[in-house]
Amino acid sequence: MSASLPITNPPLVCWNCHERTVGTHFCPGCGKVLQVPERSDYFAMFEMPRKLWIEMGALEKKFLQLSWKLHPDNFVNATAEEREISLKRSSELNDAYRTLRDPIARVEYLLAIEGARKEGQTKQQAPPELLEEVFELNESLDELREATVSGGDTASLKLRLESAEKNFEQKLSEVDSELQAAAREWDNAVDRRADESARKTVMSKLNELLNRRSYIRNLVVNVQKELL
Amino acid sequence: MGRIVGIDLGTTNSLVAYLDAKTGQPKCILGPAGSTLCPSVVSIDPDGSIIVGEPARRRLLTQPERSIYSVKRLMGRGPADVQGELKLFPFRIDPSSHHVIRVQLGDRVLTPPEISSFILRELKNWAEAYFGETVDRAVITVPAYFNDAQRQATKDAGKLAGLDVLRLVNEPTAAALAYGLHQEQRGKVAVYDLGGGTFDISILKLISTSEGDIYQVLSTNGDTHLGGDDIDNLLQAFVHEGILQTDKIDFSPHGELAQELRKELIALKHKLSETQSATLRFPLPNGKVFVHEFTRGALEALIRPVVDRTMLPVKQALADAQLKPSEVDEVVLVGGTTRTPLIRRTVQEFFDRKPHTELNPDEVVALGAAVQANILDHGVQNMLLLDVTPLSLGIETYGGAVAKVIPRNSTIPASAQELYTTGVDNQTGIDIHVLQGERELAKDCRSLARFTLNVPPAPAGLPRIEVRFLIDANGILQVSAKDIRTGTEHTIEVQPSYGLNDTDIERMLEESIEYAEQDFAERQVIEARTEAESILTATAKALGNPNASSLPSAERARIDASVAALKESTQGSDYKQIRQQIDELNQATEHLAELLMNSALQTALEGKKLAEV
Repeated sequence: MSASLPITNPPLVCWNCHERTVGTHFCPGCGKVLQVPERSDYFAMFEMPRKLWIEMGALEKKFLQLSWKLHPDNFVNATAEEREISLKRSSELNDAYRTLRDPIARVEYLLAIEGARKEGQTKQQAPPELLEEVFELNESLDELREATVSGGDTASLKLRLESAEKNFEQKLSEVDSELQAAAREWDNAVDRRADESARKTVMSKLNELLNRRSYIRNLVVNVQKELL
Repeated sequence: MGRIVGIDLGTTNSLVAYLDAKTGQPKCILGPAGSTLCPSVVSIDPDGSIIVGEPARRRLLTQPERSIYSVKRLMGRGPADVQGELKLFPFRIDPSSHHVIRVQLGDRVLTPPEISSFILRELKNWAEAYFGETVDRAVITVPAYFNDAQRQATKDAGKLAGLDVLRLVNEPTAAALAYGLHQEQRGKVAVYDLGGGTFDISILKLISTSEGDIYQVLSTNGDTHLGGDDIDNLLQAFVHEGILQTDKIDFSPHGELAQELRKELIALKHKLSETQSATLRFPLPNGKVFVHEFTRGALEALIRPVVDRTMLPVKQALADAQLKPSEVDEVVLVGGTTRTPLIRRTVQEFFDRKPHTELNPDEVVALGAAVQANILDHGVQNMLLLDVTPLSLGIETYGGAVAKVIPRNSTIPASAQELYTTGVDNQTGIDIHVLQGERELAKDCRSLARFTLNVPPAPAGLPRIEVRFLIDANGILQVSAKDIRTGTEHTIEVQPSYGLNDTDIERMLEESIEYAEQDFAERQVIEARTEAESILTATAKALGNPNASSLPSAERARIDASVAALKESTQGSDYKQIRQQIDELNQATEHLAELLMNSALQTALEGKKLAEV
């Protein structure tokens, strides 16, 4: 079923034999490694549709297969031009694997190539529903810093921060399950070839969840740093 | 094209190896001293000739100001980085050093890559003598935790030695390759590599696929300034202090006496890996002898801090690979320093697993380099190595913060694109500062390079320049830029923060080629003269033997003529001529040698009879 889904692989002219080619990594005509296209697509590199659920074993297997063929070790005795092209393609393969392997990076990447990733102001601004808790947390952090400097009692403050950290970690896992649900929605939309506006709705939901996730993650990391 | 070899350019010793086509196994090449280890020591004679290896090591004692060891510690570093080392190592840094360290060695001022290139050239000579063919390509190993500048410096050294460096391979990964070839290993492998000056830990996954075996590095960590040298320094400081207390002698840590003491202490350290106690007896200039008995326990107490320092990177590497110590299937020990019993014990306890030590820890890295050299020579067949970058690559952003663009432990080659634009109208340049490291602020990371993107004047925000940062399979950064609107590629002049620029390299290369040609011819002449010397001495001795009197006069005349001709040829500098005369004398004395051999045999038998009576 997924085989019939469109895999975005823009047609290219082979740098070596100058034929238009439909190969993914190598020119079917002359067998040379192909130049990385202007707008590359990590999903297409792995010959996968732009869907968010990826079977890890299959991804790894494909990565290792492609590595055999694309790794620079194969091109040591090639011409400088071919070496250059293969180096770019090999790095692209590794970049693609690194990105698709990580579920969060995968969503970010999908939104980026779909033109739907907007980091916006949310980096600085707390999501409205978290405002109150973030305010409290920041206050506790300030108090802890002051107490540390003045040599005051930090134990109770640390306890309060630890419970706040737990609270935000809980929220983080909530966002993660929401992200998973939204990812399934996206895959459904792809499978049933949903229209542009339906896709846009899912994408903006994914985008908002990513922003919320990165905001909460930063909070957790900051608190952990103070508690060290 | 000439031969290809694998080279382990070590802090203390360097080795060269090749893959034996008949056995399919890698092998280290012996040097003239009969050892596979070439001490990484360089000495420069007052006449300008360069001495490398064992003879140079002996000169550390007699001419310390003309000799240098552990130069690997200076590779890819700036003068400010090495202030700590200067207290412990007798490096004489030239005051003219700016972004590149220059070392004073006798009458010359040389950069670390130049000094390293002498070591590489020596190994190249060993290999050429062994094969009887030129060697022009090499795989050179580097510590996995080496940064961009240290790697570039190593590559430069190879180039200066007349070698096409096809690949830099991380030392622990090379060791894993050698072990993989040695015995079928599968699963997760931890390689603990403690050498003379560097420490690496790499976690690998060995995967069997239908095409062949893949060695995939999952994570790596380390300390490029931690090794056996540090143990020696601790021992030396301890004994210095003792001598200061008992004999009130405070000798310079850089002088001949210190070198002598260091040599003794290294021998003592090695002995304590075998026995439970050893005694140092060190003659002092005041005529007394400093005596101290070391037990293994006392040594271990002294060096424990060094061992402990290695465990932090081990834990970090495991965390990065998302593994617990118990999930590691095999542990491999590499590097001479891992012969220390305390280290073996510590590693074994941590992983709860007996580490592999079957392959010689001094040779295993060179052997792995030879395996990789063979892969590159013949193309990937049934083995593939996927390595990682040890440090995150970042770009300085507003307020001195660092934005990470390629995270550490990314499989290499790896790349990242960043889009840049201008902040004010008609701005013509965008400054970019590239860094390596894990810290959040630029000032705490390692500066790799700075460059300016040239932008045609335009309203602010209109230009779109895409900069591509690419870490190649050697772990070395390449930068390219493209104007998105026009599609034109920009050339970027990257000024390395610590390293040689292209002009430096060109100049040194020219110099080194001059030296090399001169070196080659000179070396041939010196070798031929030495050989002539020994055959002349032997002939004179043989002719003085009473049994030589029975030699026919015609033969005697031929020998005398050959001796005269050889003596004359050694006055000149044509080594081929000398060699020819050596051959001639060899032929002329064939009968004489036989004669003496027979009579010697007789004497020996007679002697036996006498003794039996």
